[in-house]
Amino acid sequence: MEQITHVQNDAIAAIQAAKSTEELRTVELDFLGKNGKLSALMKGIGALPNDQKPLFGAKINEAKNTVQSMLDARVQDLKVGELSKQFEAERIDITMPGRTPRYGREHVLQQTTNKIKRVLGSMGFVYKESPELEEFKYNFDALNYPPDHPAMDEQDTFYVTDDKVLRTQCTALQGRVFESTEPPLRVFTVGRTFRNEAVDRTHSHTFHQVDCFMIDRGISMAHLKGTLGVFAKAMFGDEVKVRFRPDFFPFVEPGVDYAISSPKLFNGRWVELGGAGLIHPNILEKYNVDSREFSGFAFGLGVERIPMMAYGVDDLRNFLENDQRFLAQFA
Amino acid sequence: MKLTYSMLRDYVDTSFNAEQIADKLTMTGFELEEITEVEGDKVLDINIMANRGDGASVIQLAREFLAKVPNATPTELFLRAEKRFPATDTGNRDIWSKTSAEIQTQTCTRFSCRIFENVQNGPSPEWLQLRLRQIGQRPISLLVDLTNYVMMETGQPLHSFDLDKLAGERIIVRNALDGEKLQTLDGTDHELHPHHMVIADAERAIALAGIMGGEDTEVSASTTRCLLESAHFVNTSIRRTRKELGLFTEASYRFERHVDPEGTTAALNRFAELYLEITNNSPVGGIVDVIATKPPLVQLTVFIKRASRLLGMEILLDQAESYLHRLGFAIVGKSPDSLEVVAPTWRSDILREEDLIEELGRVHGYELIPEELPIGSTPIGGPQGFEQLTDDIREAALRCGLDQCISHSLRDIHPLDAEGTRTQVRTPHSPEMAYLRNSILPSLCDAVRKNNAENIHIFEIGRVHNDETESTQLGIISSGSFESPTWRESDPTTADFFTLKGTIEQIAHAIQLPVSYRRTTTDLRFHPTRQARIIFGKSEVGIFGQIHPLVAEKTDLSPTAVMAEITLDPLKTEQTGVPTSKAISRNPAARRDIAILIKKEVPYAEIDQAIVKSGGETLENHWLFDVYEGKGVPDGQHSLAIALQFRKLGENFTDEEANSLRDKILAALESLGATLR
Repeated sequence: MEQITHVQNDAIAAIQAAKSTEELRTVELDFLGKNGKLSALMKGIGALPNDQKPLFGAKINEAKNTVQSMLDARVQDLKVGELSKQFEAERIDITMPGRTPRYGREHVLQQTTNKIKRVLGSMGFVYKESPELEEFKYNFDALNYPPDHPAMDEQDTFYVTDDKVLRTQCTALQGRVFESTEPPLRVFTVGRTFRNEAVDRTHSHTFHQVDCFMIDRGISMAHLKGTLGVFAKAMFGDEVKVRFRPDFFPFVEPGVDYAISSPKLFNGRWVELGGAGLIHPNILEKYNVDSREFSGFAFGLGVERIPMMAYGVDDLRNFLENDQRFLAQFA
Repeated sequence: MKLTYSMLRDYVDTSFNAEQIADKLTMTGFELEEITEVEGDKVLDINIMANRGDGASVIQLAREFLAKVPNATPTELFLRAEKRFPATDTGNRDIWSKTSAEIQTQTCTRFSCRIFENVQNGPSPEWLQLRLRQIGQRPISLLVDLTNYVMMETGQPLHSFDLDKLAGERIIVRNALDGEKLQTLDGTDHELHPHHMVIADAERAIALAGIMGGEDTEVSASTTRCLLESAHFVNTSIRRTRKELGLFTEASYRFERHVDPEGTTAALNRFAELYLEITNNSPVGGIVDVIATKPPLVQLTVFIKRASRLLGMEILLDQAESYLHRLGFAIVGKSPDSLEVVAPTWRSDILREEDLIEELGRVHGYELIPEELPIGSTPIGGPQGFEQLTDDIREAALRCGLDQCISHSLRDIHPLDAEGTRTQVRTPHSPEMAYLRNSILPSLCDAVRKNNAENIHIFEIGRVHNDETESTQLGIISSGSFESPTWRESDPTTADFFTLKGTIEQIAHAIQLPVSYRRTTTDLRFHPTRQARIIFGKSEVGIFGQIHPLVAEKTDLSPTAVMAEITLDPLKTEQTGVPTSKAISRNPAARRDIAILIKKEVPYAEIDQAIVKSGGETLENHWLFDVYEGKGVPDGQHSLAIALQFRKLGENFTDEEANSLRDKILAALESLGATLR
């Protein structure tokens, strides 16, 4: 019996002396292995009187368990120490630059266009496109321009022939739609427009426009204001308010200029966004829509205005120059 | 149009300051451009709407303000203006013996004049000079300054002639004779033609009607007798002449928009009363007033319920009556739900009921319109059909790692232009912007140079115009490596024919269309042996390939750059596919690799086809993973290493089955001339 205590003490001493998990492995084999010292004691059991045999066996097992659990605990201790050494050796500088995967940058005007399409599309307006090189009649006549209107001058409009102009407004889509679609209808477009204008920070001969219109029974200025309100909130934030001011465009009556303001943007000032109004009854009648039964609204705005206002872009020319230093700021 | 706070206060009694007045005018549609302080008074610069020429006058702006602000009151002067400045000498015919006027053209509807004698045309009194200076005009002499000042007040352009210089001392309004000469006040000589309208005396033209007076008959310090003209002309005639001769004046500005056709004598009377006030002299009694055409009477009915419905806010009959009355409309009939009115002659913009409804809304206040959303039938919104397809293609290009460009359509000629006729604008902005692009590639080339980048992969989808047709085109330029330099090992791949081919295939896959190619050599922009026509579905949509080395030189692009030009319009008729789901096998795949030697002129497409055909359904996938020529490979041949992957649904592949399929494929390749390596 003392022998067992003796061997157990030896084993404990060896465990405590071991400096690595490898040394512990040797200790384990020495004492607990098939031919280890504790197992060897078992061989002496045969020489004992029968009544002592169970007690002796139990004592050895108890010693084995004690040694095993001490060994396990010690292995854990040493492993933690060894891993932390490994971690130290594997230390990296997390401030070094990452590897950027290639991804296609969307143009900022495209991002704006996509947002417009999402918002108006979700309100049931169908997205349509029409030619940039437009027939004179759709650009002007269809929109209730009186003959000889100043906007038709070559100083203002790019002509290709007498009958073909680079559209001066995306509103040119309206006549094309009214010609082919019976009301009720809801349509919008986003596209490129051209005016023969000098180029500076806020003017260009080429820019983009949204034009949105609907015809149904009982459409009023309140519906226009409500739709613009939702649209402006979606584009500029929930706190945006819409204001109407009377203005003149040949294709609407009443005609308004609408402005938005928000406590967060433009220091709370009113900023004009575009023109709007009820579709002129002359236009409805031109396309055989009964202006007593149906009415409609239309509004337009410049696409470039939106990122200019929302992101503080101060030069319109940036948008069509494809300078990656400019575009990479947005995507 | 500029006016001072004091000028407005002559007509309006109000406690509002200049800024508050400007705010109200802005909300009637007459938008404040800016407000400045000049010599002790506030000057308002007001933007006049294109259809509201009448607004270019103090009286009409005062009327708008009075309509909008019910507790402001009109002054005695305003009340006289409403009665068109009644004169005490009405009915006096003294003037008839001094001059006469005759209208010989349809573009003049009315000509009125007064005569002033014993004139001393010295400087104006200080108050008048000050007001003119404040609104940016140069005081000249009393007769000139008063014509300008009264025009500002009434909106009616006036002109003073030196009566002693008029041949025959009479006026004829007529078309110019062909080649007739006139020197205008600004010292410019004009040669006129019959489509120009002139004021003439018995012998010659003395003024360009409605635009500018002549130098010869101008009033001066020595003038003692003056004829004051106040006439009405048709706007389109003035505009054409003004543009043609390059003259822009306060008078032409007003006539081009609209001047009250009934306002000629009122302006003469206002002039006469100010003249009397300043000089203590009266004009020769009476007015010569020739009316060629009476303005049409515009009588309209507005239904109040309809007005409320369209405006989206309720307006009561009494309110409507009051609003229209305040704006100068005559109420000639009234029922419980409608008003019948006659529009004032200065409001040429009022033509139908909706125009009256706008008036009601304007005065009532657009700020009172509630925000409501339309109800009723709502279609499925957003892009559909071709517009959706274009969006899908753009998305696919972005996902392929291409950066999006958006460029000008107007540009000059470029070596990357497509073959075909360019569309030219008639009056270009500049020679560099004379043409509409007929390909996206020149725009992208500009973008490459703009960014001065060796490694650039960009695309644009936009409209192009070629051979008188507008179409939507996708252009791609890809050049250099795909990864920016980093401290780690970088992807060594650079753009070439096959990287771009892969991109095109991804795009076709995104819209579920099969893609194929046709060999071509003829597009001069591309390397002749490295270009191919692209076919999506059954439609030929464009071309891609490596840039021609000579074109690369001309355009400063890298000679290794690759480009694609894909026109999307043919896809309008393509049935873009719907993906079909197939069962996914849970059994392991068997892979066999083969290496063959084959003549280089055998196109890979044929090898590919033979593999697919002989591999049958259980050939799940195969790919070319090595191409080798050189040592150990006979001249004119190359070695192709191809991986074959077999898999069955619900059953494992045995080695024997895999080997036998591989052998079958090899046999098919041997019939193309391949030998096992």
